[in-house]
This record gives sequence, structure tokens and C-alpha cells, in this order.
Amino acid sequence: MYRYDEFDHQLVGERVTQFRGQVERRVSGELSEDAFKPLRLMNGVYLQLHAYMLRVAIPYGTLSSKQLRMQAHIARKYDRGYGHFTTRQNIQFNWPALDKIPDLLEELATVEMHAIQTSGNCIRNVTADQYAGAIDNEVEDPRIISEIIRQWSTFHPEFTYLPRKFKIAVTGHDNDRAAIKLHDIGIVIKQNELGDIGYEIHVGGGQGRTPFIAKKMADFVPKAQLLAYLEAVMRVYNRLGRRDNSYKARIKIMVHETGEEEMRRLIEAEFAKIDASQMLSVPQAEADRISAYFANPAFAALPATSAAMETAQKQDADFARWVRANIVPHKQDGYAIVNISLKPIGGVPGDATDVQMEAVADLAERYSFDEIRVTHEQNLVLPHVRLDDLKTVYDELQAHELATANLGLISDTIACPGLDYCNLANARSIPLAQEISERFADLDRQYDIGELKIKISGCINACGHHHVGHIGILGVDKKGTEFYQISLGGSADENASIGTITGRAFTEETIVDAIETVVTTYKDMRQDGERFIDTYRRVGLDPFKERLYA
Amino acid sequence: MHKDYQLVKDGALCQDEWHYSDDETALSDAPTIISLTRLKAEAEVLRARNAKLGVRLLADGNGKTKLGEDVAELAPYLDMLSLVSIDFPTYRNGRGFSAARILREQFNFDGELRASGDVLHDQWAMMRRCGITAFELAPTVSLEVFTKAMDELSEAYQPASDDQRGALWKRHA
Repeated sequence: MYRYDEFDHQLVGERVTQFRGQVERRVSGELSEDAFKPLRLMNGVYLQLHAYMLRVAIPYGTLSSKQLRMQAHIARKYDRGYGHFTTRQNIQFNWPALDKIPDLLEELATVEMHAIQTSGNCIRNVTADQYAGAIDNEVEDPRIISEIIRQWSTFHPEFTYLPRKFKIAVTGHDNDRAAIKLHDIGIVIKQNELGDIGYEIHVGGGQGRTPFIAKKMADFVPKAQLLAYLEAVMRVYNRLGRRDNSYKARIKIMVHETGEEEMRRLIEAEFAKIDASQMLSVPQAEADRISAYFANPAFAALPATSAAMETAQKQDADFARWVRANIVPHKQDGYAIVNISLKPIGGVPGDATDVQMEAVADLAERYSFDEIRVTHEQNLVLPHVRLDDLKTVYDELQAHELATANLGLISDTIACPGLDYCNLANARSIPLAQEISERFADLDRQYDIGELKIKISGCINACGHHHVGHIGILGVDKKGTEFYQISLGGSADENASIGTITGRAFTEETIVDAIETVVTTYKDMRQDGERFIDTYRRVGLDPFKERLYA
Repeated sequence: MHKDYQLVKDGALCQDEWHYSDDETALSDAPTIISLTRLKAEAEVLRARNAKLGVRLLADGNGKTKLGEDVAELAPYLDMLSLVSIDFPTYRNGRGFSAARILREQFNFDGELRASGDVLHDQWAMMRRCGITAFELAPTVSLEVFTKAMDELSEAYQPASDDQRGALWKRHA
């Protein structure tokens, strides 16, 4: 894992002091809420429906045990005993008092964490594949370049007041788990025929009220030129992106209105100028220094299978189901990637209590080389667990209600905070996610349905990613009543697609039945081995529509 | 004309020798800042004028265009200009940060770059990093507050138009 050096410590420390001053000016009344707004936003502080909300950055979703314990401590001391993991691999606290936030940030800084650029119209915290460094067939660990991007983009003097927020995601794998095509910039690490590492760049993806899949702008940007290329994209956007209408201000709209070809020409012209200055090529020694932090941990030489694990699978059917659903093969023989579902049946997607966070931190320390990952699907990961230790880890997770065996299944829902917390929402998301998971609570039924991603947003801003849900649900408000619109066929992976709306919205009372109708229709029509998304892509929307509105 | 700002230049409060002119008034020999529209329309005459000339670059076009004026439009006139006043119409509009860097780093403009408009406390240091040397500040701001704000962050992570190289480079200098 990356460790701060004196630069990082000093800058983060100075930022806390700076924000303390800003909060004091706000509390004393010197700053109006309006003038304070851009300052608090740059520091991750939102004003929500009931209170201030603080969003803490978890760069590329990687945490140490010590850092996760700090989140537990913050949840206990400054909040109501829980935190909420978000679709951007961050954690949010919903109830901190404004005047205590500087203290909170000071405590965070002691574990090399901050809330910088987790909101505001700036380059946000960079996200990456949660299986980085653990999954087989990775070109390169995406956290290396993500850390370089984190540093380059932090307090960037030119790009902190952009037309709109800006999100960058990175994957080093053919299977995209970071939804890179739905980001302002998506980066896929590639290796060319000569064996050199470079980057395929996608620009202009996004969700919100106007969803777009990103366009591929460059096939292969050589390693040394990446920051120059990113700076070129940012400058073209900052200089020519629209600011007259905040709904039209994301780079996806600019790419759409300017056209892919012209956009590419603009970026390449700017890139040539920036690259010529050589100012942004990172010195090899620094690239090596950062890479070294992400080297493999000291894996033991182990057999590819574990007798202890196999015995336990035979003796404990629940454990066997959990292995089947939540365990992903590791690149190293004898190890596994463990997914910890934060979607217990009837629970709030992405929430974890202080005690749960501490339990996961302990497990990571003992069994996973001190590492935890946060996924954009709002779950946690222990990236490097020995097969021999799986049963012990499972038992411990079970004891803390963290062993729900539903990864990628219908109850593994993404949901935004919705009307329970958010002042933008039209409808509640969390209670609906809870109802759906209760309706499909039976795990055997979930396995029979197979991979099915439901994503719920409480308004058209699409924080719950409904556009890219296999089944997407959008909360809408009609004359003060909550309704829910269904879309089908979305996907956030390497074959990204935007879902299609089925038609008329459903009421709070009928939406769960409607979801069940969609599932039944799929089951009636699926052919051997087809997942929901495969069947949908084969048969299209009509059969679902017929049954939904029969 | 009465000025509704105080000028801080190169870190010190100073008398502003410049004044803004509208598009109609005949220009005197005093240092004058005009609009881009006037600059373009009267370039030939202005080139013969033997006095300091500045231009104001409007970020949001004041409703005339969707985007505002683009820094690239200044390229043909740089030899005539001693000053560019970059407009920041609201703190949210950071278009001027790119204009400043392009002027300094690509056009090699070495005259005065000043920030005008809604120049927010917490943007001053970033403006300076982008090559802005003069600030039109609200009369209520004290130089002490300004100076302190400039020094809140002692290091930078990335290179820009100033001489800070950025942590990624400095670690191995």
C-alpha cells in the first residue's frame, strides 16, 4: 500500500488547518453559507436533508486495517455508530457536527486519509478495480497509476473549478469491474506488441440525467505521457466545456455536442503542446518508488487446493454456498479473494457499523496482509486470504452478520441514499432495496436466478447507477407521490450498455411485484447457462413489456 | 473613474495605473484596458497608438455567447498587449485558470496577468500558480489576509506556471 511521505503529510496537514480556518469563519458568520459552500465541498462536506454529511476519500478503494479502524472510531465518536460505503469506493458519515469536522479531519490525517476533492467541481477521488494486485491476468496493478493521478490531481491549480465534477477510473484487466466506460475518463492499462505498458483512454462516459457510454479517444498513450494526455483532456474541457447550464456541463455532453472526431482533434492538438514541454513526464525513480508500494505481499508457496477448505465445504452447506457466491480465484496458488457483502437481507446497502468495521479490520490484519478494498458495488473485499483460512474468516464474518452469500445476485443491490437522506431525491431507495431483498431472501432461489444486478436511484441524478443495472429502478415524483420506473438491459462492465425504460412507472405497492414479473419472464425464457443480461440481449425488451403491462 | 477594487500586485498593495475603458470613449495616452471586441475592431489603429494597452477577457461572454471569450483569440495581438485582465465572473467559473496558463506557458506572455471579477479568497494561491500576478480584490480584504492565504499550502503536487515543480518531481530532484 502507498504510504505518505513528508510531502503528503505536510500538505494534508496544512489542508486541515486551512479548513479549520474556513469553518471558524463560517461559524463566526464572517462567511455566508453561499461563500462557504465551495470551500466545504472541496473538503467533502455536503449539506444534506437533515445534517452535514462528510465524504471521506478512499483512494482507489484501498484501505489498511488501521485506516478502517479509524473509520469505526469516527463512526462512533462523530456519527451514530455507522458509516456508508459509496459507489465511488468512498465512505460517508451522515451526522457529523460542522464545528467538529476539522477535528475529525485531523484524526483522519493521522492515518494518512482525508476528504479532499470528494465533492465539488474538481477531479474527484480516482477509483480502480477492487481486485487490483490479486486477480489473475492483470496487465499491471491499476493502483500505481491511480496513485500518480491522485497526486497530480490533488489541489490542481487549473482544474479545481471545472464546469462540473470530473471522475477518473482505472482498470488493468479485461473484465472491467471499475465501470470505466461510465466515467468522465476511463483508463484501461494495455501492453503493446513490444511489451510496453500504456493506456487506452475513454472519454465522456457518465450517468446522471443524460447517460452516455464513453468514447475511445486513444488506443495507446505511452506510460510517460499519460499525465500530459490527461492534462490535455482537462484543459480542453475547462476551456471549452459549457458552463451555461449545469445539466449540460459534464464532459459527456461536450463530447456528444462537439462530436467524437473534433473532440479527438482538440485533445490531440493540446496534448502535442503539453507533451512538448516534457513537464509532466514522471521521473522513472518516482514511478519506481510508487510501484514498489504495490508489489506483491509475501505470499507463501502453497498448493492450489486446500483440504481444510474442502472438508469444511462438505460439512457446512452455508459455508459452501458462501464460497460459491463470494469467493473469486486469486492469482496466487493457495489464496482467494474474499468478497464481504454489505447487503444483508433487509439491510441498508453499503452500511457498516463500527463493530463490523473493526471486525473486518482485524480479519484483514490477521489473514489478508493488512489490506481491505471497497468496491463500487458497495461491498468490501479481503484481497489475499489463504484457502486454509477461509473457514475461520467465514465464521468470524458470520458472527458479525457479514457473511451474506449473495455477491452479484439479485439482493446485491446498489442503492443511493435516496429520500431518507438526500435533498435531491424524489423517492426512497433504501426501503425499496430492503423490500426486494426480503422478497428474494431465499438464497437457493437467488442462485437459481443467477447473476442479476439491480441498481436503484432515488432521482434522475442516477447516484444508484440505475441506467446500468440489468434491472434499473428510478424513483420519480408525480404530484407528491413516489413512483418507480423500470429499465432493463443496462450493464457497467466491459460490454457497457444503457438500459431501456419499460414504460409506465409503478407505485410503491406494485414495484416489487413488477420486479418479480421481470425475473419470472427471464426464467421462463432463458436458455442453457444464460444470465439475465444474456437473455435480455437475445430477446429484447418486448417480451418483458408484454408481461409487465398485461 | 472610481475603482471598486484595490489592486494587489506581486504581493503588495499598489496604486493601479490602469483604467478600464468602454468601447466608445476615445483612448488617451494613459494605460487602458479595453474589451476584446474593441481590440479586434480597432487593431490597426491601436497598433499605432504609442501607449500601454490591456485587454479584458470575459469568461462567460456576458450572455453574448454560450462560452465566453476564448484565450486563443488573443494570439494575433499579444505584441500589442502589456496586460490581460482575466474575468472570473463567479467563483464557480474557473475557465480563467486555463486562460492564464495558456498565456504564460504557450503564448509566452510576460506582461501583467490580473484576476478581475469575483476573486475568491481560496482561489488566490491557485491563480498565482497559474501565472496571475495581480489581483483586483474587494476593498474589505486586508493585505494580511491575502498574504496568509497565499501561504496556506507550502508545497504543490504538480507543476504549473510557477516555479514549484510538484512532489512527483521534487522527490527525485
